Amino acid sequence: MSIVTAILLGLAMGVAFGFFLEKARVFEPAVILGQFQFRSFLMLRVFLAGVAAGLVVLAVLTGFGWAKLSPKALLPMADIAGGLVLGAGIALAGACPGTVLAQIGAGYKDAWFTLAGGILGALAFTYAEPHLAPVLQVAGQGKLTLDMVTGVPFWMLALGFAVVLVLALVGLERWRPWRQEIGENADGLMPPRQATPPAHAVPAE
Amino acid sequence: MPRLTDKAWSPYVAGALIGLLQIPAFLFLGTALGASSSFVTVGASVAEVFDPGIRAIRYAAGHLDGAKNWWQVALVIGIALGAFASSRLSGAVRRGVAPVWQRATDLSRGGRFVLAFFAGFLMLMGARIADGCTSGHGLSGMAQLSLGSFAAVTAMFVGGILTATLLFRPVR
Repeated sequence: MSIVTAILLGLAMGVAFGFFLEKARVFEPAVILGQFQFRSFLMLRVFLAGVAAGLVVLAVLTGFGWAKLSPKALLPMADIAGGLVLGAGIALAGACPGTVLAQIGAGYKDAWFTLAGGILGALAFTYAEPHLAPVLQVAGQGKLTLDMVTGVPFWMLALGFAVVLVLALVGLERWRPWRQEIGENADGLMPPRQATPPAHAVPAE
Repeated sequence: MPRLTDKAWSPYVAGALIGLLQIPAFLFLGTALGASSSFVTVGASVAEVFDPGIRAIRYAAGHLDGAKNWWQVALVIGIALGAFASSRLSGAVRRGVAPVWQRATDLSRGGRFVLAFFAGFLMLMGARIADGCTSGHGLSGMAQLSLGSFAAVTAMFVGGILTATLLFRPVR
């Protein structure tokens, strides 16, 4: 594919991606913080629905031989250390590397600083990578997926896992409907908890 | 039926539509959705203007050229355009800093900008160490049943939960 075609395709897919992220409200900092504080589950709903759809897509595409998987290698050190740092960054930013761009599109000003910090962080890692790589690749296992470990065909596991995720989402929705978490201004922010009134009001005499 | 002028769609519908974007990614690019390596492509491209020697770093060279790298840069620029369009259609346009920050922290506007910069740095440093972010490890890695992605996503939630509960006041 030529680079121009790739860029045009990327733009088109990105516009759809950004549109859906905005409609899902998952780019809102209050939604991210609310998820990490277990006060909102909107992020989990979007995330698991996205994984479930991806599982079905990949079960079909690979099942018919139309596409090949391209999973990342299992690098325990890198995955765990990097994941922890990434998670801390996401909480402090109130955004992920993808949704920070949605914040910019929607109009949040601090997102420009997150973006600039992110580009500098990626550059700093690039310069450090030759020194970090030997540590990060300790105990590396190569590209390892659940179907390889279990010997069960990918499509079967993927569809099974998708069913589990859908059931979990049905349960989540029954426990707590998503509309309760959107907020008056659609930013995932709820009115602050009222101070609890005294249990027994003292009657005036 | 979700309308383009709605402020919020069902998170299940929006999430599933995002998952369907794996179809063009795998069919046309032979790759999965991802976002964080585009930060390396942009950072290294800017750095190359001042430091042409950066190409000698194999990691940088691997991110500078090629259709897949610039596809992902276009993808994240598209995210901003799509969110812009969606927010203007619904009227959910954002200004300044989200009100949640006042509730969760004592930071001034300037303080929030400094924290956001630091957070962005940390976020991409972590994503590059882990070789993926919420998109690459989360959406794509989990959909490929990749064991490394399960580990990275678990660690990401642990890091996020610890940070958000230890450093911030409850948001509601």
